[in-house]
Amino acid sequence: MGFLDNLFGNNKRDRSAQVAKERLLTVLVHDRVKLTPDMLEQLKIELSEVIARYVPNVNPSEIDVSLLRGDSSDHLKADVPLRRTPPTGGNESDRASARFDSR
Amino acid sequence: MARVITVTSGKGGVGKTTTTANLGTALARYGARVALIDADIGLRNLDVVMGLENRIVYDLVDVIEGRARVRQALIKDKRLPEMYLMPAAQTRDKDAVNAEDMIALANEMHTDFDYILIDSPAGIESGFRNAIACANEVLIVTTPEVPSVRDADRVVGLVEASEKGPPRLIINRIKPRLVSRGEMLSVDEVVEILAIEPIGVVPEDEVILSSTNRGEAAVFNAQSIAGRAFDDIARRLRGEEVPFMDMSEQPGVLERWFGGLFRRRAKA
Repeated sequence: MGFLDNLFGNNKRDRSAQVAKERLLTVLVHDRVKLTPDMLEQLKIELSEVIARYVPNVNPSEIDVSLLRGDSSDHLKADVPLRRTPPTGGNESDRASARFDSR
Repeated sequence: MARVITVTSGKGGVGKTTTTANLGTALARYGARVALIDADIGLRNLDVVMGLENRIVYDLVDVIEGRARVRQALIKDKRLPEMYLMPAAQTRDKDAVNAEDMIALANEMHTDFDYILIDSPAGIESGFRNAIACANEVLIVTTPEVPSVRDADRVVGLVEASEKGPPRLIINRIKPRLVSRGEMLSVDEVVEILAIEPIGVVPEDEVILSSTNRGEAAVFNAQSIAGRAFDDIARRLRGEEVPFMDMSEQPGVLERWFGGLFRRRAKA
């Protein structure tokens, strides 16, 4: 069945039941936790302030906070990227912007 | 002492009334004394689903306001002598009843019945709260659809907060063909999302429509797959171990005719 499914674009991830499940898992935990988008933004700013006391280079706009539904409890998961400074030198986008600047 | 079981859902139109009528009928067919109470004041429908709409004289609000005794308001079923319906009032609203009224009513009926099934209104307001106030057990009906599952989760939270013991789940109107195509949430997925114990799974069945048209419960119809599923739930309520109906794809017409052929070939 697998290759037939692929042939008709019926990938497991594209199937509407899978989409329904993922959407439900997100919406249910938001219904229960009652964290508004405003509160979430504020949480990111305060998180970055606290983390900045211990580690440098935290940008609140890059923090990804998500609520996840678990079996017995819900989870608040924060992904906090720490920028590498000084730039590690010579990645593609850095070079591109350097070229642009030099014009 | 009767077991008081409330059937509720959150979202409307998922099959609460059909479930109540069929579970009550199935239990009565096993010889239990059953009372069905329509708690949907102002939007009563259990009477028409049961085919008893022509026999209503008094209703729930008449009893609560003292114009009628419980015995006068209870309508005897057409076919099962041990089953009775307490109809809701149609011309009043849900504020005509409060939680204490429902508790008092259930207490008064306790000794005369083995099961009191309460058909809850949709929503999570006072009508719903009244309907679960007197319950010992709560059954939550959902369909495998996003809005219905979301509302069911709200109700699960409210029932758990009311300390009724864990509610049990009935997943209604499952379309096995869509599930196998990945276009409908499966039983396992709904159970995983809501994280409560299922007591029954009911496939979509056109017989439900014709049964409701006639005012007869589908459990009387041996051809009805949904009727059989409701009968299974009634047996589980009675404490029997009944395996869950297989909700993987039912064979289509072609497969039913040539199924043996296909299967033999597949093996070869």
